[in-house]
Amino acid sequence: MPKSSKQGNEQQEPKLQMSRRNFLKAGTASFAAMGMMAALKATPVSAAEAAEAATGASAANNGAKSKLHSDGDRYGGASVKIAPYNDQWLGTSKLVGQVQNFNEADMGFMLAMRGKLGPLAKDGAFRIVDNQPSQYFVEKYPVSYAEQHLLMNQLAGEDVVDGTPAARKLPIPDPEQMSQNIKDLAYFLRADEVGIGKMPPYAYYSHKVYDNMAILKDDVEAAVKPVTERMPYVIVVMVDQNLKTMLASTGYDSISASQSMLGYHSTAVISIIIANYIRRLGYHARASHFSNYIAVMDPCIIAAGLGELSRTGDCTVHPHLGIREKCAAVTTDLPLAPDQPIDFGLQDFCRVCKKCADNCPSGAITHDTEQVEYNGYLRWNSDMKKCAVFRTTNDEGSSCGRCMKVCPWSSKEDTWFHTAGTWIGSRGQGSSKLLKSIDDMFGYGDEQIERYKWWLEWPELLKN
Amino acid sequence: MFDVVLIFVVGMLFLAGILALRPYANKGDKKKTILNWFLYGIWFLITCVGLSFVVLNSRVGHVKATSTGVFLFFGLSIIIGVLLARLLGFIGNKQKQQNLTT
Repeated sequence: MPKSSKQGNEQQEPKLQMSRRNFLKAGTASFAAMGMMAALKATPVSAAEAAEAATGASAANNGAKSKLHSDGDRYGGASVKIAPYNDQWLGTSKLVGQVQNFNEADMGFMLAMRGKLGPLAKDGAFRIVDNQPSQYFVEKYPVSYAEQHLLMNQLAGEDVVDGTPAARKLPIPDPEQMSQNIKDLAYFLRADEVGIGKMPPYAYYSHKVYDNMAILKDDVEAAVKPVTERMPYVIVVMVDQNLKTMLASTGYDSISASQSMLGYHSTAVISIIIANYIRRLGYHARASHFSNYIAVMDPCIIAAGLGELSRTGDCTVHPHLGIREKCAAVTTDLPLAPDQPIDFGLQDFCRVCKKCADNCPSGAITHDTEQVEYNGYLRWNSDMKKCAVFRTTNDEGSSCGRCMKVCPWSSKEDTWFHTAGTWIGSRGQGSSKLLKSIDDMFGYGDEQIERYKWWLEWPELLKN
Repeated sequence: MFDVVLIFVVGMLFLAGILALRPYANKGDKKKTILNWFLYGIWFLITCVGLSFVVLNSRVGHVKATSTGVFLFFGLSIIIGVLLARLLGFIGNKQKQQNLTT
């Protein structure tokens, strides 16, 4: 060590010492600063804090704990709070009137089958192929055909999704333990996420379609039957649509529908088994999945604390999986301890991001800044008809999931910087703008990574 | 296991850097000493963050994120490194001495 430097150190050492008076001053100042910070943080009370106080739940303690799945991994890096669930709010969705139960015959693909979206959409939504009725826009690609075939022919029947409970009710533990058991069963069956919610009565369809042939003739009355079931709880299971496949895809190419079907058939199987298990315990349970729904999934997902409604209008976003999931549900009267809806700042994020709207190939997703009233609640009112038309007539692929592909919440692998990014994105509009800018700067979302492209192409099959 | 070894190696490199720079970083002026150590901490942090960012993104195949990360983090790392080297007297002194002698 040079001599001059050594002397410098010796001269400095006494300066680093602190007198008792200064030590006490510094300590008092530190405590005062901490007290001011705590006071600033404590006021005013937000809706999320009020919801947490009312329910006694918190993001770290939302519903029954699983033994197989770490709660720490559940929401990724997002800053998650408990959101209210009452007659004015379903999570972060504001209810402004009476939410009407929806008729399944009025859903996008049903409108296409009814001919309400034009002849091309009708032909894409339903076509006779090799003497078999076919949801052609999905089944034109062999992988999605194989998946859909299982869903429609093996898993759709009423006797598969529903049944009579066992005559003798088995003794069950308290609702908390029972909920833990149900969640772990879902994880055991390879669900990526599971939540339990109080079933919103408006989540049930008013009418369910039972006769597709009558739908094709636009004879709605003959096609539907009223949905009368009303159960107190809903169990929602989610399965990831595969990150690497999504990274390799454009979002609207051959594999797009197959990704959706991956989530659908996996969650269908899980929901059917859970419903069967609950009936075996002596309680009512009915599975609702892709090929046999009696409920709209979005309100169920929100009630079960698995996401918030996004800019797309009819897709929820999960804080860890983003839109890259498909789900199924089980409605039941088994006594359970429900999770609470969550708030991870998605409304602020979607207000400023608009990446899905910028990239939507059909132009269906709105660029509006503010939400508008729709069926008794506020949402970004995207044009579902445009979306359904594009998906049923897409000549470049099978269906579409471009919004899922580009959404900053769903386009990520597990790394420290993406965890940090989701934390930033869940902290309000200013930080959401920052995350969106970073996302664009690094090219996440709209890139295609060829090395993961595993599927085969038959362009001749894609033309309608 | 690899993560633990990596964290250990990074920690050792950080300490080795401190030992190597100590004779040059500690100046008579306290402000300069603090600035030297502050820059060393920032430089080490940005270099490690950049390395991690670039390696993880290239492993997945995010081409734009990798190239942008190289420019952003390693660019910052070089700028801060040069500044630190100048303050520590590793570069620039020769020219100064030459100017004085002429």
